[in-house]
Amino acid sequence: MSGRVTRRRRTSSAVLVYVIVLVSMQVFLITVAAEAFLADNETLAWATAAVSIALAAASAAFLRYFRP
Amino acid sequence: MSTGGSDAGTAPEPGWRRDFPIGAAGEEEVTRRDFARFLVLGSGAMAVGNLGLAMWTQLRSINSDRETAIVAADAVGVGETHLFRYPTGSDPAVLLRVDESDFVAFSQKCTHLGCVVYFQAEEDRWHCPCHEGNFEPVSGEVISGPPTRPLGRIEVEVRDDGMVWAVAAHEEHP
Repeated sequence: MSGRVTRRRRTSSAVLVYVIVLVSMQVFLITVAAEAFLADNETLAWATAAVSIALAAASAAFLRYFRP
Repeated sequence: MSTGGSDAGTAPEPGWRRDFPIGAAGEEEVTRRDFARFLVLGSGAMAVGNLGLAMWTQLRSINSDRETAIVAADAVGVGETHLFRYPTGSDPAVLLRVDESDFVAFSQKCTHLGCVVYFQAEEDRWHCPCHEGNFEPVSGEVISGPPTRPLGRIEVEVRDDGMVWAVAAHEEHP
């Protein structure tokens, strides 16, 4: 029983680490989008937005695996 | 500060309070799940911001084929430049007279980070002072420095009325 609880906690910790990594990448993408905006680079701006939305969706999906 | 609970007799707590039941005084009680929810919320906000920036970048190029008279051709000498705005009043651009019959015009925004470029006649190049980017005077191609894309080209033509007209802006060279 306690082994199962420990495994659940480890899973939650791993998911939290994944989410933190994804959010860190979002911060980086914001700077890329700002550069694309300043340089009028539409291609880069749209690519950045697409990746950013994918990362946000992945973060939300990870919440499903989060144990209380 | 509230910790998320509601007193009896007060208004019912809103739905977001049930999802994020955290107040300043209860920060030590933040669970990993709540923390992760806040992170996901922040991630979503940044995604929306990224999407907004992309849309803004796209919308700025809508008026890129508006025809505008820039200046009388005789008013610009060979090797001289004339500053103007194109395609909108917030887009700085610069016209260069290459020889007696030819003019070229470019967006004045450096393709690296948007600083203003200017023409260095003695070096025969467009120069961005922010990060030492240099561009070819006629083609706008990158000579040196951090920019990777050529300057945004603006098509110009001299018409019968003796004026130089801007007829279209191009993000990339043909």
